Amino acid sequence: MSLLDKFTAVQQLKSGLADTGKDPTTVVFDNIHTATRGVVEGRETILAGTNNYLGLTFDPDCVAAGVEAMQTHGTGTTGSRMANGSYSTHGKLEAELADFYHCENAMVFSTGYAANLGVLTALLGKGDVVLLDADAHASLYDGCRMSGADIFRFKHNDVHSLERRLERLEGRTGSCLIVVEGVYSVLGDRAPLAQIVRLKEKFNASLLVDEAHSLGVYGASGCGVAEEQGVLNKVDFIVGTFSKSLGAMGGFCASHHDVLGLFRYVSRPFMFTASPSPAVVATTREALHQLRTRPGLKDKLWSNANQLYGGLRELGFELGPEASPVIAVRCRNRETALADWNKLLEAGVYVNMMLPPATPGGASFLRCSVSAAHTPEQISKIIEEFARL
Amino acid sequence: MNKSIETVGQNLVEILTEYLKNNWADSPSSKQTITPATNMVTELQLDSFQVMEFMLEVEDHFDIVIDLESLSDIQTITDLASFVIAAQPE
Repeated sequence: MSLLDKFTAVQQLKSGLADTGKDPTTVVFDNIHTATRGVVEGRETILAGTNNYLGLTFDPDCVAAGVEAMQTHGTGTTGSRMANGSYSTHGKLEAELADFYHCENAMVFSTGYAANLGVLTALLGKGDVVLLDADAHASLYDGCRMSGADIFRFKHNDVHSLERRLERLEGRTGSCLIVVEGVYSVLGDRAPLAQIVRLKEKFNASLLVDEAHSLGVYGASGCGVAEEQGVLNKVDFIVGTFSKSLGAMGGFCASHHDVLGLFRYVSRPFMFTASPSPAVVATTREALHQLRTRPGLKDKLWSNANQLYGGLRELGFELGPEASPVIAVRCRNRETALADWNKLLEAGVYVNMMLPPATPGGASFLRCSVSAAHTPEQISKIIEEFARL
Repeated sequence: MNKSIETVGQNLVEILTEYLKNNWADSPSSKQTITPATNMVTELQLDSFQVMEFMLEVEDHFDIVIDLESLSDIQTITDLASFVIAAQPE
């Protein structure tokens, strides 16, 4: 068997995706007009699968901040934070994130993926134990695997399953990290963080929560699900991304543990990559400011989420248990999902298609994500096109 | 009390058969006859998700934990039975 033979299966998978129409992995936006409107193959398209929850990608103040930063600090840093890539604005963003999360320490990474890899590989090592929610994001799995720690999964959002495993690992829980997400990316369901915190305390473990899809969406201040459930100060490490609600690119970790400052010296995904560009840092800082000062954005997001969830439920689609800015429509099978995704795209509605094995329960979903920037008319149009399927 | 590899293997066949019937009734793998010698990946063609979900069932049935990295060494039901026996308390 040659080195390249393994790609035969990949080619077959790719060909299979295109059999029922357009390959969902090859969608190109010819143009993007606003946070919710773009052009695909010359067709005006409503964007309903971009995780642009607060709709800030075209916010005039965010754009202006990015332009000004590029003009004053250049297009890129050309180096890592440990060498020539630390600018004063990186430190300011880290201070603002620490203030936002009411903790002493924050650290910025070049992507959300790098943040999870960087934190998990710094924190964990051989002999340590990870208890990972079965539906956790690939970046969390990858970070845990890279760390060399012993990884044990528990059933998704199942506190009893977590507790049974903590009991079985008795004697090792002092070096145990529980890893969960605030909101899970495919179905939009929330972790029972208050109960998980109780277990973490009972077993003297630590807790990392990825708030990638909940930043700006949940909690009175928009910190995420940990804030919403009143346990923000009990979470050891909060990680998240700038590429969703903040409309930019990058990732972060916030913690009340001072040891986070030392991660800079041991976290290879932090040390051996270029730091975020000045424009990215500037738009992220402005977007965070908007998130903190414009609560109306979150209200608008939830109004849109409720409209879409209610409309799709009324049409009889199988959805998650509660309204959320992530709304996943369960399809009968893979073929139906591919066909319906193509129909929606041809009708001018872009959503994400989620296929197994990267999905909960091995099911296929059409995944919508709602934005504060959607108009009620756009939401109605999305519902209308789902009704035609 | 320690069980024999044959007994554990038979338990695992029953758990896997039940798991496939309950969760993957429409898949070809649920129609196949499973024996202790069955290879879960090459014969049953379970994908990584299905294998990991089945392992959660096994963990709860035998009250053990299975490290994710160990899964790559487990091909057949008999392999898994050996792992389960080793993972159980004395």
